[in-house]
Amino acid sequence: MTAIIEAKNLTKVYQSTTKAVDSISFAVEKGETFGFLGPNGAGKTTTIKMLTTLSTITAGRATVAGHDVSKDPSAVRRSIGIVPQELTADDELKGIENLRLTAKLHHVPDEEVRKKAPELLKLVDLEEAADRRVRSYSGGMRRRLQLAMGLIHTPEVLFLDEPTLGLDIQTRRTMWDYLKRLNQNEGLTVFMTTHYLEEADLLCDRVAIIDHGSIKAIDTPAHMKQALGGDVLTIGVNDGVDLSGFFSSIPDVHEVARSGHVYKMKLPKPENALPTIVEGITKRGLKVTEISFTKPSLDEVFLEVVGKTMRDEEEGGGESWIANVNRERMK
Amino acid sequence: MFGDTIALTARSLRKWIRNPAAVLPGLFTSLFYLALFGSSFNPTSLIPSNIAGFQLSPPQLAQIKASILSQTFGGASTYITYLTAGIICLILVFNMAFGGIDLVLDRQLGYLNTLLTSPITRASIFFSGVAQNMVKALSLAVLTFMIALILPNGLILGRGFGVVDLVGAFAAFTLFAFALSCAFTALAFMVKSIDSLVAIANFVTFPLIFMSDALFPASGFPSWLSAVSNVNPVTKTIEVARLLMVNGTLTASQAATVSWDFAYLVAFAVVLAAVGYLAAKRVLKAD
Repeated sequence: MTAIIEAKNLTKVYQSTTKAVDSISFAVEKGETFGFLGPNGAGKTTTIKMLTTLSTITAGRATVAGHDVSKDPSAVRRSIGIVPQELTADDELKGIENLRLTAKLHHVPDEEVRKKAPELLKLVDLEEAADRRVRSYSGGMRRRLQLAMGLIHTPEVLFLDEPTLGLDIQTRRTMWDYLKRLNQNEGLTVFMTTHYLEEADLLCDRVAIIDHGSIKAIDTPAHMKQALGGDVLTIGVNDGVDLSGFFSSIPDVHEVARSGHVYKMKLPKPENALPTIVEGITKRGLKVTEISFTKPSLDEVFLEVVGKTMRDEEEGGGESWIANVNRERMK
Repeated sequence: MFGDTIALTARSLRKWIRNPAAVLPGLFTSLFYLALFGSSFNPTSLIPSNIAGFQLSPPQLAQIKASILSQTFGGASTYITYLTAGIICLILVFNMAFGGIDLVLDRQLGYLNTLLTSPITRASIFFSGVAQNMVKALSLAVLTFMIALILPNGLILGRGFGVVDLVGAFAAFTLFAFALSCAFTALAFMVKSIDSLVAIANFVTFPLIFMSDALFPASGFPSWLSAVSNVNPVTKTIEVARLLMVNGTLTASQAATVSWDFAYLVAFAVVLAAVGYLAAKRVLKAD
């Protein structure tokens, strides 16, 4: 496999003291969907800004599509497509006009635009709305148009900065379908930032969890969840007798916790451990009063790695008037 | 670079034309200044028919008014004839100064970042900003000229005024607009908020207009103001346009004045274009 994005000790320092990104290293393979996961202010957008030539690199090195970001920014710009978190399509222009303008700014020949624009509009289900002004689009339609705008020049790498920010859950799921289809059909390399854990879990081949400018973990979502110690079993029995010792003695059972008649434990291989657990309870003349399984999600991974949930991080954030403008455009 | 500049300029102009709320205020400003200000502030209408006990007959009064217009207002047949070049300059100054608001919005809404990450030159971003403001303002300048022509007691062009004079007058307006647009486009890229841009624009536009002979002749100014007015590019632009509009055929000394004013305006445009471009280039580089 070939790395299409490579960052080595990438660092960004603002005003000589604020370290927004602190010596991070990672590589993204060709055709991979790579997610940068973290709360607001973690360093996600700063990283994307450095990789897309918007921000200078204070220390370290990065290459995108084989081009050094600091030494050859023009070549990087020719190789990438960007879907920013802001809604930048022009309200007063039609969907197709926005698409054509983006193509022109990327020097795509007219003939190619004539062929590619309808294909992209079909991909994002905007064929019928193409001749309408963007002013009349819903938030989801604007996001889909921006996705098409990011692809009109056939980039080698597509950067998605919070691609579903501000969308309602139903529209967000539709957007996920488009993104999945895109990755499957086009084999495009996608680098995305998100603070929606479910989104990262569903779309990304690998994710990096970033907090306070440092990468805290980097792996596939499945491995990350597995590393937590497996599924969580919650089981209740009809007697107060302490079964912690028995549960802990079973080879595939970890981290047993008791709360009255209810026990919680991690099972890396539930198919091995569960029959032994139930059998042990029955042998002792006890009955199972409740039983449930929780598959670990990236929420648990995030909590484990960062020490707090994403929701804790989000609380208390103020909003600029631009955020309000964007919210209005989402309606 | 040229193609990118054209594409970005076309984008802005398309948005402008499709939004009547953006076009109409400029048009009404011209109309109000010429029709209302031009009529109500006509200085010759202030002359009383009885001065220090001397009762003037209507022909005498008309002759005095004509003399004032001829001697103080550069030979203009009407006050609006004198005023038109000044109002066109005023329209240019205000449109250039406040035209940058769109560019500040582009930055705030993230559009500028999408441009900066596309493979176009920084120069095309800057010059498209310059060009869009120029086209918008000069369109309003042409409309202002036409309004002045059709107004009753409006603009009366000098005998012999022809296409060459029209081109000459608008060449001066274009040079002035280009210079100002370079300065204000760079400023729009430098400021972070619309409030800052508006504050600076207000601080610059009013002195530029009031320290020139856009509305009244400099002969009535105190000496310090007259000195400032003499080097004000607004005065130079107006002088070219006014001499051509009022006189049509120029005398040798008038032609020399026009030539010197053009040289001044070319130098002014070159300096502001260079300063504006370098300032914008600095701001538009990666942070």
